[in-house]
Amino acid sequence: MTLDTGSVIGSRSRISLTWEKQEHLIKLAVLILAAVLSFATRLFSVLRFESVIHEFDPYFNYRTTRFLAEQGFYKFHNWFDDRAWYPLGRIIGGTIYPGLMVTAAALYRLMWLLNITIEIRNVCVFLAPFFSSLTTLVTYALTKEIHSTGAGLVAAALISIVPGYISRSVAGSYDNEGIAIFCMLFTYYLWIKAVKSGAIFWSAMSALAYFYMVSSWGGYVFLINLIPLHVLALMITGRFSHRIYVAYSTLYCVGTILSMQISFVGFQPIQSSEHMLALGTFGLCQIHALVDYLRARLSKENFEILFKALVSTILTTVLIIGTVLTITGKVSPWTGRFYSLLDPSYAKNHIPIIASVSEHQPTSWSSFYFDLQILVFLFPAGLYLCFSKLTDSNIFIILYGVTSIYFAGVMVRLMLVLAPVMCVLSGIATSHLLSKYIKCIDAGSTKTVESRRQFKKLEQQSSGVKSEVAIGFVGIITFMLIIYTFHCTWVTSEAYSSPSIVLSARSHDGGRIIFDDFREAYYWLQMNTPEDARIMSWWDYGYQITAMANRTILVDNNTWNNTHISRVGQAMASSEEKAYEIMRELDVDYVLVIFGGLTGYSSDDINKFLWMVRIGGSTDRGAHIKERDYYAPNGEFRVDKDGSPTLLNCLMYKMCYYRFGQVYTEGGKPPGYDRVRAAEIGNKDFELDVLEEAYTTEHWLVRIYKVKDLRNRGV
Amino acid sequence: MNSITCSPPLPCVPLPFVILNISNISYRNFSGALPTCPKEKNENYPAKIVNKNVERSLDISTQLIKDLFKITATNSDGLPISVYTFIVPAAERKNLAFISARDENKKELKYTERLVDGNHQFIIAFPKSVSTEVFIIEAIYTKRLIPHPMEIPQSGKQLVRYEGNLYLFSPYETASQKVNVLLSSSNILSHTQVKPYNVASNKIKYGPYENIAAFTNQSLIIHYENERPFLTTTRLERVIEVSHWGNIAVKENIFMTHTGALLKGSFSRYEFQKDSRSGHAIKSYKTILPSSASDVYYRDTNGNISTSNMKIFRDYVELELRPRFPLFGGWKTQYTLGYNMPSFEYLYNSGDKYLLKMRLIDHIYNDMVIDEAEIKIILPEGVSNIELTTPYTVKRGPNELHYTYLDTVGRPVITLSCKNLVENHIANFNLKYTFSKITLLQEPLLVVAFFFIIFFIAIISLRLDFSINTTHSHKD
Repeated sequence: MTLDTGSVIGSRSRISLTWEKQEHLIKLAVLILAAVLSFATRLFSVLRFESVIHEFDPYFNYRTTRFLAEQGFYKFHNWFDDRAWYPLGRIIGGTIYPGLMVTAAALYRLMWLLNITIEIRNVCVFLAPFFSSLTTLVTYALTKEIHSTGAGLVAAALISIVPGYISRSVAGSYDNEGIAIFCMLFTYYLWIKAVKSGAIFWSAMSALAYFYMVSSWGGYVFLINLIPLHVLALMITGRFSHRIYVAYSTLYCVGTILSMQISFVGFQPIQSSEHMLALGTFGLCQIHALVDYLRARLSKENFEILFKALVSTILTTVLIIGTVLTITGKVSPWTGRFYSLLDPSYAKNHIPIIASVSEHQPTSWSSFYFDLQILVFLFPAGLYLCFSKLTDSNIFIILYGVTSIYFAGVMVRLMLVLAPVMCVLSGIATSHLLSKYIKCIDAGSTKTVESRRQFKKLEQQSSGVKSEVAIGFVGIITFMLIIYTFHCTWVTSEAYSSPSIVLSARSHDGGRIIFDDFREAYYWLQMNTPEDARIMSWWDYGYQITAMANRTILVDNNTWNNTHISRVGQAMASSEEKAYEIMRELDVDYVLVIFGGLTGYSSDDINKFLWMVRIGGSTDRGAHIKERDYYAPNGEFRVDKDGSPTLLNCLMYKMCYYRFGQVYTEGGKPPGYDRVRAAEIGNKDFELDVLEEAYTTEHWLVRIYKVKDLRNRGV
Repeated sequence: MNSITCSPPLPCVPLPFVILNISNISYRNFSGALPTCPKEKNENYPAKIVNKNVERSLDISTQLIKDLFKITATNSDGLPISVYTFIVPAAERKNLAFISARDENKKELKYTERLVDGNHQFIIAFPKSVSTEVFIIEAIYTKRLIPHPMEIPQSGKQLVRYEGNLYLFSPYETASQKVNVLLSSSNILSHTQVKPYNVASNKIKYGPYENIAAFTNQSLIIHYENERPFLTTTRLERVIEVSHWGNIAVKENIFMTHTGALLKGSFSRYEFQKDSRSGHAIKSYKTILPSSASDVYYRDTNGNISTSNMKIFRDYVELELRPRFPLFGGWKTQYTLGYNMPSFEYLYNSGDKYLLKMRLIDHIYNDMVIDEAEIKIILPEGVSNIELTTPYTVKRGPNELHYTYLDTVGRPVITLSCKNLVENHIANFNLKYTFSKITLLQEPLLVVAFFFIIFFIAIISLRLDFSINTTHSHKD
């Protein structure tokens, strides 16, 4: 008998082991595939072009990473960059989030330690895809904590190809967001763990992840508001417990102290109003805990008296201290970017420099669908499911979803924050629906039911839903998911995989033409201008010039000094003589403009020119520059004969169209036909007095002018 | 070689003989002492030799000066000629990139160099001594064609000046001499007029001149148009990485400058595109690679340079390289060119002994000038008994170590450097070393061991139960 039972138990456990193993295997396989897929789908641009850094900001990150890898951390920390913001310079170490650079440089050093001689550029190019693989894994872990393993797997698969996230993390897009999304989700995961377990260990880990997040992206502010919001919501719903008290107190204390170590953040966590919610919630936690303690100790009447007294004293103290601090300026006024989050029209009315950035524009409805596709429809379903079974962690994901959808609506850029929660909630919804209906299919096909009880259960589940309906439903879901994959791949390949430093176009015979003018111009600057030459350009190209041409520039994408940018805008918008004064004042040697009139590249400087005028006119010294002077009498912005004379004689116009009046661009059109504005330029024959053409690239995309020296006396 | 040291009785000290050493530092100490020796000149240049006939062809149609002398020398007293002295003035010595002497059958003649009276003597030795020798001396000079004017506008023509000696500057009397000058165009602004001469399109014929005394100096100045590219490779860093898995990777880091007339004023893209004849601007040039070159890349610090064409011929691969921007006078550029080659074509072995036979430098563009070159040869790990023979003297630096994928003790790196090179320096070096084939297995074994350890740890940690309470399945 003993032997017999032993074998039975043995066989059963073997079966259960194999089931476990199978599940484990599937889990592993799905996760590995999703991670590999998320890496692979981001490589379009590398395959199509080359391993190259994209766009603007990544060039700055690349340059700083190179510096960090070569010079070491202390030099990096104390780095005063005299190549940017001439003559002011920029303290790089104190004005950036170093997480990204430190991560890349650490990986680079580690690989070199193992004699893997990979170039720093390649580390930078592939960092974002690598971190998106990690994000996939973390999304699984997070969703698993919130809902179930199945939901986690679906969410991981969804996030691996969601375009809203890919847009910021393709290979070469070496930007803070690339690693910040990972850090954010990792912090959330550890936070949920801490909330569920109430263990100091998890909340301390969560604080460490938060520190990493702070070190890598300014978007940490969202995180440090969302977690307190979660705690508040838990308090209001009466779910506050010792677990949450421990989790939040630890996270806030450790996290805040750690975050203050980042020199760019400094004392903001205890001074700026953006962080006040976290501080307030921390205080409230203590009060709530104290109140709970007292309630347990005191009689009801005594407690009520004490409670009222406490509440009134604390509220008045907080109010008084708050107002005093705000008036004395200890609590910094809310920054413009934050205001524009709450009121989308704020920036447009007050800060032209914020409004001029395309990624700060409000999101259009179509781009929601473009970036998220079926997730848009699954998201409410996921929200509903979370509401229907409220837990501490579900409340968190609901809050995350609702707040981020608001922010994503305000600013295109924040689509990035929305995408992960969309995936999590859609994962929950899909997994829930699928597991519900697939069971019905199973019930329809396999009739062998062991016990009566199980049969009843099955009957209950499949009541009213026939197997065919279930099959149909599962089919629809599968179809949608397949469409989703096609859509994501298409969007990635068409919209998000162009490096924008190399442009490509189709020629008439179907071949591919490459416009490599940017690098041509930057390399020319690097090779053929003096080492200390100062180059004036609009701020968009600042980072690229410092990184690729290694020359000193006046303004760059950091945009920290509005008046300096405004001065450059004034120079561009003024007539030659006025501009010469400004350029002499700013010690400019070369001026660089982007001109798309020959090739039809629409984001050139003439199309950005109105922003230069606005920004130039926004300060006192540029008061003479008025936007309306640059419009044609009928109120249009025109470069042809009808354009305003102010425009046709300003420095920017002259630099873009110098000698363009003789060029035939399109068949059947007069010479000097601008292909972007679709107009024949109005001012054709002019010579430059204070500048001379130093270089123009092959397709005229970049034009560089040398500022002439003062004339000799008497000549 | 013996004959050299014996026949002219050396006055003071037997000078060290160096085969075309680029630097002449070692002679400095002697130059001060030499004039004190009595009858120095006569003893050094035995007057018995006479240049019966000299045919000089001076090719200044490119940025180089290719000076070719066909000399018929006889010994007036009928004795066989054992050595012949060819003189390069000290001022020209630093521009002399290459010199060679050949006999009629194009057989290389050996020579030694020494400094006497501020002149560099190249003493050519003849293996078989006859009284009349016919031989050819080829000398190639760099940077002696000076743009004049120094600065020209974009549409201007590049004019250069040649300054040199019309006659063969010889310690011997010359009976008859002819000079043929080859120019790049028929646009000659001025030239020295020593009769008889004859100008025909892009050629100037001087001579014949009779009975020229020894050490005669007759300056020759030609001012003419030269639109050929004046492109100088200011620095070449060439890395040859040998792998015994069948691949040789070559990487060249090239720094270039247009050393012709400087660009005056502005550059106009409109004019440049309108006028297809770009004049002195360098738009592109051709690099010839070995026929087996594959996986060619052409890039700079900003990434791939997308403007290049590759044509594969039977004997070579031709790359048409276009720099990112056209090069005008004074403009610089820098790029990296790399390719792979199968090792069986260059690496020979018998047993554990290997011989690497490859070009020390390779073609970059026609009539190239390389100011300085640094060559690194990276050998596999575990190589010993390295023996290097170079076709000409190069400076060898200390060996270095290079670490790359899966290396443990590092790969030995041989560093060489040389200066002032031209196309004629493209020649093979021989590198012998010992390498045991078992060492090849080291790297795969390292990988295998690494994965073994990982899996082993995984197996142990998964199979063994470290938890405190055991499950009942472990019961028997």
